[in-house]
Amino acid sequence: MSAVGTALRLAPLFRQSPLRRGPADTAGSAAGRDGAAAALPVVSFAVVTTLALLVVAGARVFFSWDDELGLTYRMLAKIALALLLVPLGSVGASAARTAARRRDDRLASLRLLGATSGTLTVLTVLEAAAMAVVGALAGSVLYLALAPVVGLLHFRGAALGAQMWMPWWWIPLIAAAVVLLGAVSALAGLRAVAVTPLGVRTRQRPARTHWARIAAAVGLAAGAVVVLQILPAFAELGGVLVMIAVLGAAFGAGLLALDLIGPWVLRVAAGIKHRRARDVTRLIAARTILDDPKAAWRQVGGLAVTSFVGVFAAGGLAFSRLAASDDLDSAEQYLLQDIATGVLVTLAGSFVMVACSIGLNQAAATLDRAEVLVSMDRLGMPRRTMTDAARTAVMSALWVVSGGSALCAVLLLAPLLGIALFVQPLAIVTVAAVFAAGFLLVRGALLLASRLVPGILARPERVL
Amino acid sequence: MTAPARPTAPARPTAPALLTAQGLSHTYPDSSTPALRGVDLRIDVGESVAIMGASGSGKSTLLHALAGIIAPSAGSIVLNTPAGPIRMEELNENQRASVRRRDLGFVFQQGLLLHELSALENVAVALMLGGTPRPEAELAAAQWLARLGLAGLEQRRLGELSGGQAQRVAIARAQVTGARLIFADEPTGALDSTTSAEVLDLLLDSVEPSDARSGGRSLVVVTHDRAVAERCARLVTLSDGRIVSDEVGRGADRTADAAAGAQTAGERA
Repeated sequence: MSAVGTALRLAPLFRQSPLRRGPADTAGSAAGRDGAAAALPVVSFAVVTTLALLVVAGARVFFSWDDELGLTYRMLAKIALALLLVPLGSVGASAARTAARRRDDRLASLRLLGATSGTLTVLTVLEAAAMAVVGALAGSVLYLALAPVVGLLHFRGAALGAQMWMPWWWIPLIAAAVVLLGAVSALAGLRAVAVTPLGVRTRQRPARTHWARIAAAVGLAAGAVVVLQILPAFAELGGVLVMIAVLGAAFGAGLLALDLIGPWVLRVAAGIKHRRARDVTRLIAARTILDDPKAAWRQVGGLAVTSFVGVFAAGGLAFSRLAASDDLDSAEQYLLQDIATGVLVTLAGSFVMVACSIGLNQAAATLDRAEVLVSMDRLGMPRRTMTDAARTAVMSALWVVSGGSALCAVLLLAPLLGIALFVQPLAIVTVAAVFAAGFLLVRGALLLASRLVPGILARPERVL
Repeated sequence: MTAPARPTAPARPTAPALLTAQGLSHTYPDSSTPALRGVDLRIDVGESVAIMGASGSGKSTLLHALAGIIAPSAGSIVLNTPAGPIRMEELNENQRASVRRRDLGFVFQQGLLLHELSALENVAVALMLGGTPRPEAELAAAQWLARLGLAGLEQRRLGELSGGQAQRVAIARAQVTGARLIFADEPTGALDSTTSAEVLDLLLDSVEPSDARSGGRSLVVVTHDRAVAERCARLVTLSDGRIVSDEVGRGADRTADAAAGAQTAGERA
């Protein structure tokens, strides 16, 4: 009770970010950028809420169909939801981490004054939740504005239209879930930092990947492959529902395997790049990944699944267009078209969320490194080198993750994709264009995050 | 009983100064009180100068202005480099960064090294930023680290080095480019007394008088610690943004001995 009581008494004092205080904030571009840094978590919670509401609204439409193809649509909706939930959770966690970094100096000062870790924890969770509430409100408004636009998408031969409007009470329910996600993620984020009277620092963790993780990943992947080989047997044993459950479990095992082996793959790739680095930008970029491969993986891992599924999507898209031209009834024709639309929407949604997550993580990392950035500036390191190093670290990890996953999928589907490229080149080009747009989106998010650097360097006394 | 008056710094020689500041004034954008008020300062080759003063006296602002980290509101700074004199007030932010990279060295209180790089890479980066290829930069960095007693620790990361070792890496980084002027901002502030003395020795050892072979090297230390300041050849004290005293420090003997040694060596050569 005492920790909660103290935190509640202190909370009103923390309503304004220190980055927003000071006479210089009344004018000047640096102050504007600092304000943007403080607004980042709120904006990100708003994005999470909007995306969550749009995804749920879309899924509700699919679940409302109970004709003979309804089960298929529901299954496809579940797959799309599963694919979107991972990056959505990632955006939420990034938002909470960014929020946690903002209040460093205040937490450290409180620690110096003798505040208990309990008080700091409650204060952190309260502040993250408060920002999530503001973000969720803004996100709900944004959903209301975007729902008619998403409603233009056609499924089963008609626009989604007014079906994108959910019953009003769904909105506060989902907004509350986002606030809860913010609070829980803030708790998890606090576990990753050490609050001392001298400041808040990310806890040092061993950089090496334990061999047991790799062994577990290989075991899980092998298990998933075996299960997929005998999938029809599950259908015979327990029917379609059991088969779907086993398929979901195999998919989950694959994701877990990726999560276990991903940091190791990034570390190996960064090690090679480090040995070959000839300039400061590439040297720092490679070392940034080597320093914490797990953090690098957290930033770009969401794209592994998206890329893997994207290649399958390209094949699926091509064959659905091929099949659509055959003698199918109209409902089946629509189903094949809808799969194509769903695939593209899911891919695009994934990229939007991954770009949000990467932008937020990069913003948090930039604020985290403010002291070093100022010192490098004083040594005469060009600002371009600093921002390029940060961008190269993320983009090189992104290429490894995305390229690696896509390559695995291409190898699995090699003959089919070859045929698809020959007979339906437009489908492959469409998916490739979504990928290119996704990468541009990520670069844009990194560019936005890098705009924090001039603000930090303009007011070095705030960080030293 | 009053303390004996310290001798004031002798009149400056007529040879060109390494750095000359005249009429430096500076007021921060969010403050109405000037941090510097008409400061004149000359730093010669081979000098070690301590800048002292109470908190808020303007000593860090003076260092930042002299080093081109901030552009002072008024006044001029001329830095003599092998390529000719540079008027710092005429340079833009990027040009000042280029001067800092090429002609100046820095040691901060916490070292402020890149934590993800090894000790060797932290030193080599200073050269690589100037265009030196990585193999040559790492070779020179290894030689400097060995010279400062860090042989065998080249691949260690910041978290694996003690405070004193990290400061040695910072000192190597400041010197590896051949900078003729090193600025140190409270370089011993975070160290225990023994390590502090060792780090100060290394910094003072970096001071070289001008001779026939080298251009010489000077040191400017900002400190609040009188014991540290007194080991320099000159003690400049600031109060309310003005220089209130410019005295000879104990380090003056060391500088004179080094200069005499350099002159003898020059004559022998």
